[in-house]
Amino acid sequence: MAFDFNVILDNWALFARGTWLTIVIAVAAVAAGFLISMPIALMALSHRRTLRWIATAYVEWFRNIPFIVVLYLFFYGLPFFNLRLPEAIVGTIALAFFASSYFAEIIRGAILAVPKGQMEAARAIGMSYFQGLWEIVAPQTVRLLVPPSTNTSISMVKETSVLSAITVAELTYQGLVVQGETFAPFEVFLTTAAVYWVVTAIFAHFMHRAERAFGAAQGAHQARSSLADKYLLIGARRPA
Amino acid sequence: MDFSVAALGGAFPQLLPAMGTNLAISLVAMLLALIGGTTLTILRTLGIMPLNAAIGVVISFIRGTPILVQIFLFYYGLPALGLDLSPIQAGILAIAFNSSIFITEIMRGGLSGMDSGPVEAAIALGIKGKVIWTKVILPQLYIRIMPPLVNELTTIVKGTALLSVITVVEVLRTAQQVANASFRPLETLLAAAIILFAVNFVISQSGRILETRFAARRG
Repeated sequence: MAFDFNVILDNWALFARGTWLTIVIAVAAVAAGFLISMPIALMALSHRRTLRWIATAYVEWFRNIPFIVVLYLFFYGLPFFNLRLPEAIVGTIALAFFASSYFAEIIRGAILAVPKGQMEAARAIGMSYFQGLWEIVAPQTVRLLVPPSTNTSISMVKETSVLSAITVAELTYQGLVVQGETFAPFEVFLTTAAVYWVVTAIFAHFMHRAERAFGAAQGAHQARSSLADKYLLIGARRPA
Repeated sequence: MDFSVAALGGAFPQLLPAMGTNLAISLVAMLLALIGGTTLTILRTLGIMPLNAAIGVVISFIRGTPILVQIFLFYYGLPALGLDLSPIQAGILAIAFNSSIFITEIMRGGLSGMDSGPVEAAIALGIKGKVIWTKVILPQLYIRIMPPLVNELTTIVKGTALLSVITVVEVLRTAQQVANASFRPLETLLAAAIILFAVNFVISQSGRILETRFAARRG
């Protein structure tokens, strides 16, 4: 079976529009999700047990159900509050809340990794809690935030494909439309997948540059003899 | 329209049996993924360049594309190749394939962090490669990577809900059918969400317990 490029060439405008919407939704949801996650992370670190419990429940709830279920809950749940929004907005909101639970865990971990003495010193010289957090602790977390946030953001780009289930005209939905017209599943879905592949690769590329710019720690390499490398090392890391 | 607690409670008897389908799919997919992931990992250590390059491309492809699109590729694509699969079979294959890629990456990480002593001892004793894998490396490796494997299982369970999109009658699709009859979509979907949450929560929490146990055992 030959790959029929005409299927793609005839419908390139649909794919292009879908790709654009996918990128817009992913960027908006990741940005909004990061903002939502900040108070959640602070609640998770709070001294008050109730606040900690709420944050834990929030994070565990979203992390343990599939995104498609979160999406449907928002899709059918928002009208209960008399909020009738376009599907693309509903999908972006759902993805933002879903992403926030992952970001909250990342931020919590990063703040915990900053030595306690930093905040104590900030408080001792008269800064308020939030001043200490913003001026002293936050700058030190950036280096720790970038690598896991990259992975989560890339996951969220991929999760946008689920929005096709509520007819948001993003890339996967356009793929389904073209598939319905052309009955060329291989051409259509390989192209769809390839576009995601490129988008996530570009995303990863920029995030890796950010990682280097922030001087992320390089993974420590274990010293050992090369006799067992034949079994234990795969790929590029095998010494020549 | 007000939220109906009765509708929420009433949905469970219909949804719980449907969750059995998700669990069955998950277990079969996990088993296939473990076999596939292990095979890929061993193949990758053989150091056959073209093969490693090809596997590398597939890994990058699977990790860089949404699982939903992969499911569509299997569901719509394989029949076009002449392979007649039911939605459930296509779904299991798609999830298992996706997962075996993630598992071989988990295994690669586990291997590179493993103590080389036992393997060196086995090589020094002249034990054959096949035996080194089955008796020396794999038993240690599986224990070592148990926490991320459990995590992968929750990913698989979450993936089964996506199969509703290709008409597999699992818990989410059942919820949609129930909602169509009862006109209570939010309550029914919330019930499905609670069931999926409960299953995944139990799996991920046992993963955490395992993690602390094995951390202690590894010293």
